[in-house]
Amino acid sequence: MTGTDRDPLTGLSWQQMLHRHSFIELDALGRAEALLDRGSMRVLADPFARLESPWLTPQGVTPQADDGTIIAQGTLAGHAAVVCAIEQGFQGGGTGEVSGAKISQALTLAAADSRAGTPTAAVILFETGGVRLQEANLGLNAVAEICSALLDLRPLAPVIGVVAGTVGSFGGMSIAAGLCTRLIVTPQARIGLNGPAVIEQEVGVEEFDSSDHALIWAVDGGEQRRETGLADILVADDADQIRTAAVDAVAAGVSEPGRHRSERLDVLAARLAELDPSDPPAPQELRALWGDTFTPPPGAAPPNTREALTPNSGRGWTWLRALTGVADPEPVIPSVLRVVTGTAVYLAVVPDADNPFYRARNGEVGLTESLALTQAVTEVVAADRQSDVKRPIVAVVDLPSQAYGRIEEMAGLHQAMASAVDAYHGARTAGHPIVAIVVGTALSGGFLTHGLQANQILALDDPGVEIHAMHRSAAARITLRTVEQLDELAKTILPLSYDVRDWAKLGLCDDLLHVENADTPTDADVAAVNDAIASAVNRARSGPRDLSNRLDSDDAVQTRHASRKVRELLGSQWHSTQP
Amino acid sequence: MQTLNYRFPATQAATHAVHIGVVASGDLEILLEPTAGETLEADVRVRTSVDGFDTVWLEVLTRFFTHTPVAGRWELNDSGATPGVVTLRMRQAAEAVSGHPA
Repeated sequence: MTGTDRDPLTGLSWQQMLHRHSFIELDALGRAEALLDRGSMRVLADPFARLESPWLTPQGVTPQADDGTIIAQGTLAGHAAVVCAIEQGFQGGGTGEVSGAKISQALTLAAADSRAGTPTAAVILFETGGVRLQEANLGLNAVAEICSALLDLRPLAPVIGVVAGTVGSFGGMSIAAGLCTRLIVTPQARIGLNGPAVIEQEVGVEEFDSSDHALIWAVDGGEQRRETGLADILVADDADQIRTAAVDAVAAGVSEPGRHRSERLDVLAARLAELDPSDPPAPQELRALWGDTFTPPPGAAPPNTREALTPNSGRGWTWLRALTGVADPEPVIPSVLRVVTGTAVYLAVVPDADNPFYRARNGEVGLTESLALTQAVTEVVAADRQSDVKRPIVAVVDLPSQAYGRIEEMAGLHQAMASAVDAYHGARTAGHPIVAIVVGTALSGGFLTHGLQANQILALDDPGVEIHAMHRSAAARITLRTVEQLDELAKTILPLSYDVRDWAKLGLCDDLLHVENADTPTDADVAAVNDAIASAVNRARSGPRDLSNRLDSDDAVQTRHASRKVRELLGSQWHSTQP
Repeated sequence: MQTLNYRFPATQAATHAVHIGVVASGDLEILLEPTAGETLEADVRVRTSVDGFDTVWLEVLTRFFTHTPVAGRWELNDSGATPGVVTLRMRQAAEAVSGHPA
């Protein structure tokens, strides 16, 4: 099938189309059942385990007994497998503390079995609007943990993503989709980082008209993602076809290291070099420009290099210079700065008023920022490959969000971010201590890309420091509340709070640092933060290389009891013969 | 969200646990489990996203248990289902535990 010759039946005859068993019409349990070998399914942490979200009832939202995520063990054509199926009907498939922990723990258990000699594949059914904003910071962290656990499993057993529709995959979970060994889509599927309605709400209807369905599917649609190489297999909405595709993908096994889409820096760089944001191709033209295989396009232009025209500013820039004592940090690109000291490598995403990707001019993490971060991190890993002691990477974090834009979505921002997440994870598991120091705002997908894969997360105890899944007014609109209502709820519901002291109680914060002046740090401030980073590096060196410390910290024991219960229950049910 | 509790006399004991439905807009999930004890009754807890429909719930549930007196612990997690959908889901649950159409 060529890009211009659209096949609405996706290879089916009209008779087959009429007699097919729709996959999309099934709920999450029905989907898991349709995929696994008949009679092999065993549901873990089922509704009667009542692992519901502890955060919804206090907000007046009816919970679901299994928190809208099915974990089903079974076999796929005889191969051991676990299906993680997100129920799109419940809260739009939004990732909460419990539903997220179910997926990350299932992936972790599959990895343990794979290491122990039973390769256990995972199939994740992505139908999600992203982080569940009622559980904001715990949902955001859950996505980071899912990405990490997925990357731990991926070299051992295939992780297959399925996006069938109708919700599709949006938000941070699309980063996880971008990390999968293989990705199966239908023409009804959509994959994007920022959904059309969110872009319209944030930027305006001229950036993305979310009532224009043809435009949405032209940009985010399953066929477009397949035709531009951002998905691997396009099948009709047919349960048998999707099962066959999943069985084949599992049977194909793991990909070689370096061959995963999220590891193909060369392709990402070459593709972005061909994309001119001042004259972007139409989605249809992108198919011809990039091709449907994820390989460097023929005759790719060398990457654009340019000097920053406007001086930098902002807390990220201030702290990067203060902590390193380097007045003039080296631009990887003008919006991503690097300082290599004798002891560590520091990275910051900063505003760039002349960024040709105009949606990323205020320090947002966009396409080229994700690429630059990935390049910088992978360079450190490559340079230290032979050394016994790996250099720490310090992520200085002050970013307003990810870039909300139509060009970004068309080009697959989720996939670019997946590269950065993959790189940070790779550095962490290779033994590089990754320390994130939040000096300003750390919002949403930006923080997932630059910060949340760290072994250690530090934050300044300052009112200007804000860590969240989405900024106030947007979160209020999406959850159908006023900003005042949201602030009132946040007083009692910890993961909703915009106060960094509340965030620090979630169990994810390794140190909350008092400073005199977060905008213009004093010498004492700088010394104190540098000491804290040095301690964090030491803790990272002796601590786990996965993210389990976020579940085992003293604060997590207090706050994340639901996540810990998920870990306990799935762990005990995983190997038992009784459900 | 409102939590409502009801008890109804019942004659048929649920034989096993059954789960039906999804907490999706206009829909609900039902967890029905057998209860221990001598007296047969339907012990119902409703959690609904729509406040102020206590009377409607009582009417719908009374009518259902008059026709279908299935005893057990019924938990209904509701996201604004209409009375018709509520009754349909409850019938599905009753059929699943009794093995014949409710």
